[in-house]
Amino acid sequence: MRLGALLILAVTVVLTTHPEAHSAPLDEIRRILSEDALVPPAPAALEILDMAGLPELLKQIDPYARYFTAREYRSPTTRREGWLGIGAELIVRGDEIFLAVYKGGAADTAGVPDRSKLLQVDGKSVARLEPLAVAVLLKGDEGSVVRLTLDLPDGRQSAVAVVRTSFKPLDVELVPPSERQVLRIREFVAGMTKPALQATIDFFARNEASPNESLIIDLRDAGGGDLYEAFDVAGLFLPQGTLLGTIQTRGGEVREVRASSGKKYFMPVVFIVGPDTASSAEIFAGALHQQGRAKLVGQRTYGKCSSQVEINLSDGSVLRYTNRDVVLPGGSSCSGAGLVPDREVSDELLRDLLLLVREVDSLSGTE
Amino acid sequence: MKNSILIVTLFLAMVFGGCASQDDPREGGFFGGVAGLGSGGYKNRMTEREERLEELRATQRALDSEKGQLEVQKTAVQEQLNMDQGRVKSMQSEIAALDKKAKSLADKQGTDKQRVTELQKRVADLKGKMNQQASSLDDLEGSGFGDTDMDLRRKQLEKQRDSLRKEYDLLMKMQIELAQ
Repeated sequence: MRLGALLILAVTVVLTTHPEAHSAPLDEIRRILSEDALVPPAPAALEILDMAGLPELLKQIDPYARYFTAREYRSPTTRREGWLGIGAELIVRGDEIFLAVYKGGAADTAGVPDRSKLLQVDGKSVARLEPLAVAVLLKGDEGSVVRLTLDLPDGRQSAVAVVRTSFKPLDVELVPPSERQVLRIREFVAGMTKPALQATIDFFARNEASPNESLIIDLRDAGGGDLYEAFDVAGLFLPQGTLLGTIQTRGGEVREVRASSGKKYFMPVVFIVGPDTASSAEIFAGALHQQGRAKLVGQRTYGKCSSQVEINLSDGSVLRYTNRDVVLPGGSSCSGAGLVPDREVSDELLRDLLLLVREVDSLSGTE
Repeated sequence: MKNSILIVTLFLAMVFGGCASQDDPREGGFFGGVAGLGSGGYKNRMTEREERLEELRATQRALDSEKGQLEVQKTAVQEQLNMDQGRVKSMQSEIAALDKKAKSLADKQGTDKQRVTELQKRVADLKGKMNQQASSLDDLEGSGFGDTDMDLRRKQLEKQRDSLRKEYDLLMKMQIELAQ
């Protein structure tokens, strides 16, 4: 299980300006779902919707549906604004909590390696604590210090003091090993991820990277984002007109999405994927994989090739629900199945990027 | 007689002592030093010192030049940053004007309400993204070249601004169409 963006150890700065909703506009929700949801809900299921059980009842209709009051809602834009905290996300695996460390954030600056296992926060053990409670322990004022006890990926145990700072994550991060073209995408943001990726690849070229060297894109933490941005990014690596996927609506309307014209990149591409790679990230990786343009290394992905829409309701609250399904170029949807990597790795290996890069090398025979 | 033997011994000691010493006046004690002074060792040491001094001066000159280059780079980066900030500011004003127009379209009779709502949503999104650009650029204040993350951030912001400009042009076109 992975915590969503709202549980990450960062606090978005800007709050929405909508007035708070005290009760959900249930009739509006019923109408929208009945008219536009990908799978039409049974009238009885809509009828029993009420404010008290709304989250659970919505999930029974659509596992990805969610209702946000105006105060709770963060748009993809505001979610990306400055964060305050240790600059890491929590990855929960069974009873264990790991830190996904952001490049340039407080934890990274303090020398916390990515995927370190969290043992204690300020001397308090995190064993048997709910992830939300751990997140609360990690939060604090800017400039305050939090002491983390960690199991490092190399097996050593370490105590690190991290000063909580404000931080803006890069849309596309450069990750070690620095002598290789390895980058990380965590979310697809409309109009932002594609230019950030182009700038990063151009940055590699400026640093005299070989045009034939594999571009390794780490999607282990990419939980999704904007579907069209994912398609746009995929189109950078395929000739104009190549099929990227097919979007299907409930009415049987089918729309093919093809690579547009513009600048293209020709280097070999390898994706590092895992169980948290989901939605738009799966569609991006799946499109290039199905077209024979990229290889996958890691573990089977989450398995959600559907797309959700967020609708502003009359009281300022927001309803998110599934309204599209995406079929990959091979004719299959990844929903429920996930993408199967060309090279599967163990849990332990999936946590170590340097070893994963070696796997990539052995897969492509460059070593 | 005893005195003459002593003088001869002292003389020989001086001669051999002088021969055994190096010609560097720093080495060989008093007699060695005397020998060094007489054989040009002092001059050599001076030359060596001057050479070392010249090396230090050259290093200092190289450091000054590097510092100068860094200052020039930093000034260039700052100038670029000022220009970028200016561009973003003017785009923010343009987007604010577009936002106003989109709002007035919403009140106008006979417009395609669905498209106007879409326009308003996209303008609001663009506005948010431009505000982020402005704040990210402010964060780059005082930074020079050389820090990989900062350099990369600069490049990403530049490309993203171009992309936001395209989105603005598109929304402007959409607004004009809707207004007609």
